[in-house]
Amino acid sequence: MSKPVGIVRFLGTNCDRDVWEAVENLDLTPQWLWHADTFTPDDYSAFVVPGGFSYGDYLRCGALAAKSPVMQSLKEAAEKGLPVLGICNGFQVLCEAQLLPGALVRNEGRKFVDKWVELKLENSNAWSNLERGAKIRLPVAHGEGRFYVEPAELTRMKERGQIWWTYASENPNGSVENIAGVSNIQKNVCALMPHPERAMHEWMGGDDGRAIMGALLRA
Amino acid sequence: MTEQELADKLKKYRLSRGEYGMMQKLLGRDPQGVEWALFSALWSEHCSYKSSRVHLKKFAFRSSRVLQSMGENAGVIDLGHGEKVAFKMESHNHPSFIEPYQGAATGVGGILRDIFTMGARPIALANYLCFGRPQAERMSAIVDGVVAGISGYGNCVGVPTVTGQTEFHESYDKNVLVNALAVGLFTESDPIVTSNARGVGNLVVYVGAKTGRDGVHGASMASEAFGEDSASKRPTVQIGDPFYEKLLIESCLEVMKENLVVAIQDMGAAGITSSSFEMAAKGGVGLRLHLDQVPLRDSSVGPEEILLSESQERMLLVCEPKKLEAIQEVFHRWGLDASVLGEVIKGPEIELFWKKDLICKIDPKLLTDHAPMYERPYEPWVPKRKRDALETTALKLEELLSSAEGCSRRWIYQQYDQRVGAKTVRDCDDSIAIQRLPSGRGLGLVLGCRPSLMRVDAQLGGYDAAFYPSLELAAKGFQPLALTDCLNFGNPEKPEIMGEFVAAVEALADASKLMNAPVISGNVSFYNETLNRNITSTPATGVVGLRDSIEGIPRSQFVNDGDEIVLWRLPAVKFTSDQFGREAAFSGALDPEMTSRWLMEVFQMGLSKHVSASRVVGKFGLGYALYRMCGEELGAKVATGAWAEAPGDFYQERLYEVLLSGPAGLLEEVTPRAGRTGSEAWKIGTVTKGVLSLGSDTKDLKGLHELYRSGWRKHFPGLS
Repeated sequence: MSKPVGIVRFLGTNCDRDVWEAVENLDLTPQWLWHADTFTPDDYSAFVVPGGFSYGDYLRCGALAAKSPVMQSLKEAAEKGLPVLGICNGFQVLCEAQLLPGALVRNEGRKFVDKWVELKLENSNAWSNLERGAKIRLPVAHGEGRFYVEPAELTRMKERGQIWWTYASENPNGSVENIAGVSNIQKNVCALMPHPERAMHEWMGGDDGRAIMGALLRA
Repeated sequence: MTEQELADKLKKYRLSRGEYGMMQKLLGRDPQGVEWALFSALWSEHCSYKSSRVHLKKFAFRSSRVLQSMGENAGVIDLGHGEKVAFKMESHNHPSFIEPYQGAATGVGGILRDIFTMGARPIALANYLCFGRPQAERMSAIVDGVVAGISGYGNCVGVPTVTGQTEFHESYDKNVLVNALAVGLFTESDPIVTSNARGVGNLVVYVGAKTGRDGVHGASMASEAFGEDSASKRPTVQIGDPFYEKLLIESCLEVMKENLVVAIQDMGAAGITSSSFEMAAKGGVGLRLHLDQVPLRDSSVGPEEILLSESQERMLLVCEPKKLEAIQEVFHRWGLDASVLGEVIKGPEIELFWKKDLICKIDPKLLTDHAPMYERPYEPWVPKRKRDALETTALKLEELLSSAEGCSRRWIYQQYDQRVGAKTVRDCDDSIAIQRLPSGRGLGLVLGCRPSLMRVDAQLGGYDAAFYPSLELAAKGFQPLALTDCLNFGNPEKPEIMGEFVAAVEALADASKLMNAPVISGNVSFYNETLNRNITSTPATGVVGLRDSIEGIPRSQFVNDGDEIVLWRLPAVKFTSDQFGREAAFSGALDPEMTSRWLMEVFQMGLSKHVSASRVVGKFGLGYALYRMCGEELGAKVATGAWAEAPGDFYQERLYEVLLSGPAGLLEEVTPRAGRTGSEAWKIGTVTKGVLSLGSDTKDLKGLHELYRSGWRKHFPGLS
């Protein structure tokens, strides 16, 4: 039997159960990774840091979560090259934990925004094996999803192929160069603002989320 | 006590002289100390329903699906397959006008607690909002704050907001309505937990946020009309913390699922007073409570403030002593404290202690069961029909689409997380919200009540508040199962307001009985009156429906080019409106019995594979409904005919009409159903690309979309 998929759970995380269902839906075994505990990276095949809010997003989105014990183990896992996916708030947490470059700030429109968006694949990595330029539709739901990174770092990210997804038509938050998702240099740690776990079935409005969550089957 | 002292006391505690007399009689003496605060809170209109209880008994009808109803925190219905849902709607009108963000946010928090207190996991939120005219004083800021409050709380706590209704009218200029509805799901292994305290020697445990001074006298504030000084009431508004609420949801559901609690109740209006007194009164037991053990935000908060505080995100539970440790373990894991306040004692009295001193000993039933119940005088209902027809109907579709009343609400609902929980099948874009149940079936939810109808006829408006949302469910193949209501009215001491209340309640009760969809929970909000101006009587409703499969549900917009469009009409009541405020004239009478039979036929059609899209014709009539069925590309070509002889007929409202579209042969399927129910059906047109034609008037779809989508910006330039 394959190793379980670890799902990180902070106080107040609210997309945890949705990711759990998506993982079960792929006939894989999810397992909680509680914020206050550490774990052994090799016991897991892959990791998901779910979205929603953590610690009420007080102080700064992801800031408190990034300092919790579970993140120590997650950093080890990332260094070992295990696949780590951050979704929405999980993206913010991974940036705060410096596992990913850049930061996510208040949407340009200042309001929370929930809508379906079109995404374009800029570079493939551990979490997507579509052709470059492939387009998918996923829903976003965030108030602080505007990716920002210093211009010099952005240039380096582009050279290294760290830009994962961009918003293909409408940019819902004003992110720099329409960036919707990025990866680390090794490309095992990846994160995006849209929610693939909310697009697993046609009845949800689309099943393109499988293009990302499906990577768990290869992990 | 001198006469002046008594007058001051009564004013401070918002009690009447008659009520003072009742208190003396029940106690056999003058009330003392904190007793004043207790009576003030529990005898407030908000807690006691003293003006409405007599009439709410009219909602006594129950169906076989009802597991819990009035008297508990929320109603619960059985869906079969081991699934049950709890749902309820509640108002937070007064606080939202005073302090829009926190007022709306804590309205969401409060209704969620009513749901998870019973052991159900909240799966959906909805809101019914009535605002004043966009240009009214503060209105733009109120709209901004209310929506941000709902969004800020609901999104953070992780419950999707899936549908809503927003109205604008001058009668809400000084008194907006913010009604929140929540639905919770029980799966097979989740117990329904009630609030009656039991078992002498069991412990009373306080869980959640610390108690502060916020919301002291909130319940009695909400039971008063507003004057000029509403801003000075800001300190009575509570402050919400959705993060705490999320922790409470997870921890409370866990202790309930593990059967660690005997009873549980959230601290809502009138805080710890109402929760403890209601738990004791319902269970027929006494309680000994040490108020000095209540966790405080500030050590200077005294016993009376503790009793009246409406600090949010707090729960009171009763458990067996041997289970305390396990309960504390769960709450600590979720970062929360659980403190023992006291114990269950032999009834009937509640003993309140403050630092070892007994400060009050009282039978809770004096405050709950013996609360005043008024049979307020009311004017018997008479229809306020002044005219049968209006001179002209100069409405134009373009004006409707860009009006505040008719334009897109996307600015609002785009701020709501509509998908967290991964159950959303249809979101706020649709005419009904649909959540997928674990069994694979669909749970539908629609809100109702059209203030424009209430303004002309409270009885008709009351029927419509039940029928219209139920029809929307039926048109998608969902069977309406049960209703919740939030009855927003003005000053009940005015006979004409009370007359509208009684008429609306009786109509709602009758409609729900005819549809076999009982009213199982709700809330009454009186005194929606500012400076002697009452709001439009607004009995908002939420209807829950069930469909066996989520496959093949009709869309709300046209699906295929060339599909035929069928209009199916129950020819009962016809309206003619002359302005956006829609002071309508109308003719005809509604036959409730016929309407409910027709509704079942609509439900059967909603299940038909032949129907690709459906929509109930509502505000502004047929032309507006046809526009709302147009997609980005697909429009419609509709002819004039028996259904609309003159162009103005496209803007008449009728009770009731349903639009269906589907491949050729659709009309043949509808016709026999129409024949059986005394209704009429016609093929009125076909789905076409790029335009909407109403008779000879052809409009470019792109232009209409632009008007519909930019309307909000036009009315609220500061908000987009």
